[in-house]
Amino acid sequence: MESLAPHEKILVDSDIVDDENHGEIACHECHGGNPDDPNWKTAHKGVVKDPTYPDASTACGDCHDEINENYQKSLHVSLRPYKLIIDERASSNTVIRNKLGCAMNTHCSKCHSSCGQCHISRPNSVEGGFLDGHLFQKKPPMQEVCTACHGSRIQKEYLGEHEGLLPSIHKEKYMKCDKCHTGEEMHGNGKDYAHRYDVENGPKCVDCHKEIYKREAKNVITHRIHKDKASCHVCHSQPYNNCSACHVGKDKQGLAFFKTKSSWFDFKIGFNPLKSEKRPEKFVTLRHIPVDRGTFDFYVKDALSNFDTVPTWKLATPHNIRLKTTQNASCNACHGNESLFLLEKDVEDNEKGANKNVIVPVNLIPKKQKWQPK
Amino acid sequence: MKSFQLIGLAAAFCMALILSNTFLCHAYEDTQCFQCHTSAKKLIEATREIAKARPALKSAETSGEG
Repeated sequence: MESLAPHEKILVDSDIVDDENHGEIACHECHGGNPDDPNWKTAHKGVVKDPTYPDASTACGDCHDEINENYQKSLHVSLRPYKLIIDERASSNTVIRNKLGCAMNTHCSKCHSSCGQCHISRPNSVEGGFLDGHLFQKKPPMQEVCTACHGSRIQKEYLGEHEGLLPSIHKEKYMKCDKCHTGEEMHGNGKDYAHRYDVENGPKCVDCHKEIYKREAKNVITHRIHKDKASCHVCHSQPYNNCSACHVGKDKQGLAFFKTKSSWFDFKIGFNPLKSEKRPEKFVTLRHIPVDRGTFDFYVKDALSNFDTVPTWKLATPHNIRLKTTQNASCNACHGNESLFLLEKDVEDNEKGANKNVIVPVNLIPKKQKWQPK
Repeated sequence: MKSFQLIGLAAAFCMALILSNTFLCHAYEDTQCFQCHTSAKKLIEATREIAKARPALKSAETSGEG
């Protein structure tokens, strides 16, 4: 997504005065500064660019009290799973952990959101800029907010921007992100989740596709046979993007950067690393994430000395769903098809330990079927 | 007091209320913030000045997919 011109980023639509909810609030009430000073340089002294981060209780909380109660635990604000997973991989040495903390603050922790960075402007991590002249957006626009951050994987998969791959069927039905990812999910419910897949009001396919296990449903046999054995994505995802070897650092000017080594398309079924009541399936789709033993080497060596405690092939829910896919064309398009499964040979030698629980041994690949449902 | 006088008085009161609310709601339209941030011309001048003084914010070394 292209950045806005610098002046466009801060150009306010004068129609804001007609906003019956926010139009009565003067600029300086949220942002500070001196509204009577004609010199913009001195008038901006003390101005807060985003008065909703890290604490939105003054700017938004007075009116939006229910959301205000919980939003600090929204994963878009807290980034808790990132921190927990890196912590699991991290060395127990306190000095190393402190240096790692600095690196995380410089790089990973920048990618958060806030009330303002969804409902008023583009997120800071994509250089910001008002969405519509600072007019408050009840529903954040998908391409300027959601996929502005979730671009490399979600956007391209969902919109079908990868060569040779189709968009998600949901995109073709004109569904935007908020159709599945509701405001309630985004705003948090006060629980400090350790993983995004734990979020109770996160979307589940069966929320809409309630009928798939009913006797009269099309493909009811197939759905019933595979219930709790394979996730929906195992049958209905197309190949998706995988990344590796992200390294972070600072350039000669002291500016933070990251580099990833390679990305590739793949479709790999493996054992579910996050089996739970909500996700009981044995087989799920796995995506290789960009973490690497040396990701933080610029800041401190051996920061991730417990690298093998968490898989680098991670439970994934690719956003490129189709009713018909290569692997669900027939039973034996998947059963006995070794190329679809994450085997030991597919995993780099130095990551075999980390992925031992998700790799599928050849003898445990579902066997070819003689029987075929009509 | 006759009824038409009462209606007139009520109408005048409502009008005064609406006008005062409008005035109150939009008082900040006269502020320097509003005057400047609703003018593309003024913002272009200011942001050009800022750009001249400010060093690059993004490293050219970033590469690959994030």
